[in-house]
Amino acid sequence: MDLILVLGLLAPPFVAALLALVMRREPARVAWFNAATMPVSLAAAAAIAVRLARGGEPVVVGEMWRLDALSAWLAVLVSGVATLAAALGPGLDREHPAPSGEIRQFRLYASLFAFTMLVAVATGNLGVMWVAIEATTVTSALLIPLRRTKASVDASWKYLLIGSVGIALAFTGTVLAYVDFATTGADINVALHWTTLRDAATALHPRVARLAFVFLLVGFGTKAGLAPTHTWLPDAHSEAPSPLSAMMSGVLLSVALYAIVRWKAIVDVAAGSAFTDSLLLIVGIATVAVGSLSLLSQTHFKRLLAFSSIEHMGLACFGLALGPLGVFAALLHLTGHALAKSAAFLLSGRVLERYGSGTISGAPGLLATAPHTAVLFASGIFALGGLPPFGLFLSEILIVKAGWAAGHPVLTSVVLLLLLIAFGSLLVQVHRMLFGEALPGIVRGERASVPVILLSIPMVLLVWLGVSIPPPLQNLLSHAVLVVRP
Amino acid sequence: MLLLALVVLWRRHVTAYITAFRTQSIVLAFVGATVAWYGRVPELFLVAVMVLVLKGWIVPRVLSGIETRRQGARELHPLLNTETSLLISGALAVAAYEVSRPLAEVMSLATRGGLPVALALIFVSLFIVVSRREAIAQIVGFLMLENGIALLALLGAYGVPLVVELGVFMDVLLGVLVMQAVVYHIYDTTAD
Repeated sequence: MDLILVLGLLAPPFVAALLALVMRREPARVAWFNAATMPVSLAAAAAIAVRLARGGEPVVVGEMWRLDALSAWLAVLVSGVATLAAALGPGLDREHPAPSGEIRQFRLYASLFAFTMLVAVATGNLGVMWVAIEATTVTSALLIPLRRTKASVDASWKYLLIGSVGIALAFTGTVLAYVDFATTGADINVALHWTTLRDAATALHPRVARLAFVFLLVGFGTKAGLAPTHTWLPDAHSEAPSPLSAMMSGVLLSVALYAIVRWKAIVDVAAGSAFTDSLLLIVGIATVAVGSLSLLSQTHFKRLLAFSSIEHMGLACFGLALGPLGVFAALLHLTGHALAKSAAFLLSGRVLERYGSGTISGAPGLLATAPHTAVLFASGIFALGGLPPFGLFLSEILIVKAGWAAGHPVLTSVVLLLLLIAFGSLLVQVHRMLFGEALPGIVRGERASVPVILLSIPMVLLVWLGVSIPPPLQNLLSHAVLVVRP
Repeated sequence: MLLLALVVLWRRHVTAYITAFRTQSIVLAFVGATVAWYGRVPELFLVAVMVLVLKGWIVPRVLSGIETRRQGARELHPLLNTETSLLISGALAVAAYEVSRPLAEVMSLATRGGLPVALALIFVSLFIVVSRREAIAQIVGFLMLENGIALLALLGAYGVPLVVELGVFMDVLLGVLVMQAVVYHIYDTTAD
């Protein structure tokens, strides 16, 4: 049973990538296959999540695969966003056909990208997790310059270099922890298994564990867009094709944070949580500050979304340092962010298509020209600004509450102020897009087509999250918190 | 190996960079084989051979390929001059010894004396990446960083588990190929 679940989770994107390689002549069919099978992956992830939400045993296959509540939660997010991106990626829209080379490239690399992220969350081996996260850089970097412009090629290079070097530092941390563990004389064949390492963590030397954590935080933090190594993110996320931006921003950042959470659980046992918590607090606040203070000066709407991602990752990082309630709030926040940000990026692709311009000032009058897209896009921005009734409002309140409870009133107030600034900036920016007179020559009117219906699903879910946390999700996240803070 | 990273800091020709990296990788393979022999870890021989083939032969060839495609000056222009670079690397090496003290204290393997060297190599490679502007020099810096980590794993724990090792090799190979592709795009788009 476990084998079927893991296969169901991992096989669809892998097979789609293989097909894209083999069926070079028929990219449209590959696109259909990809869009039709990704829901299988989502269903497998959901099945695993339901079992763990009921307090079931982790899904284990061999030495390699192990999904507990934390992995299951993230697997649902990754496969969900990948399903949405596969359904809205190039190759399916008959009205705006894309060149077949573009379709083929997108299906190949985006499927591999989804596959590597799923491997990263489904494996119980921290070494393999690192390999998979490193592979996400490679698979996604090739897709950024899908349309060869100078800006996109430069963005891709910056991402590739900073991402690779950052992730190499994370590997240094992994090796340091492993070296320490190996010297305790344990069986080194299972030394990088998360459960083994956590159970044996009391034998690790605190000073080495702290040193390793610094490397790991800088390394995976680079991939998660945490300050000060976030500089690749705005370029890469704004230049990438929109479905890829949705995957990178919606879930890749969360996968990198997930790696930090996994390691933090081990280092906490070895060296106490005071050290890791204070590091995450500092990095988190710095990141929120960078993100929210940059919002108002942005002139491109995709860059606006990218900086908003930085802000939200900082906030989640802040939450992770605030004890069990904070971890719960951070996980809930990442859930809402995955929904809102992936939908917003996919919608921004529709705006880009309509106006042929990525600037905020170049896309006025959105409400008049594309009413459905406009309403959904505005809802996405409102959700990202933390406005009720969307889910992110609730999780932000929870994080602030956790901050107060954990005894950091000053730091929490600073974060609250930064959140207000972010909210105001987003509101001003989206106002400039929604209203005003559209330039002549822009097509007006919009049908309620399949993409519009698909993109309204995340919005409905966000409102649901904002009204109340659904009990299954509540259970799953509580179990996930227990995984890292027993 | 650290000396070979320093070569990159004072030479300015790209061919010298590539030669330095190739020699460094061969030395790494040799160290791997030695550790395998004395530590009685037969798997490490396989790893050493792979290092030799991949980093000593394939990757340098890819790098030379990039270099022949590169138009413009043969010389590279680092952000800092040679003297400053060497001074900073010296400081980084001292820092590496300081940082690795807790490590050396807890280690019992005979190879622990080499750990500061590995960390110094990691730091100096990082410095190479941030202080060079040309893509090819940054790639060499990144690859030397990988070599430093491999050395750390080798000396610290006689290598990481084989499945991880293989994954790392795959990532390095793919990474270099992707970097090559992107660098070609850069040359193409700037030529227009």
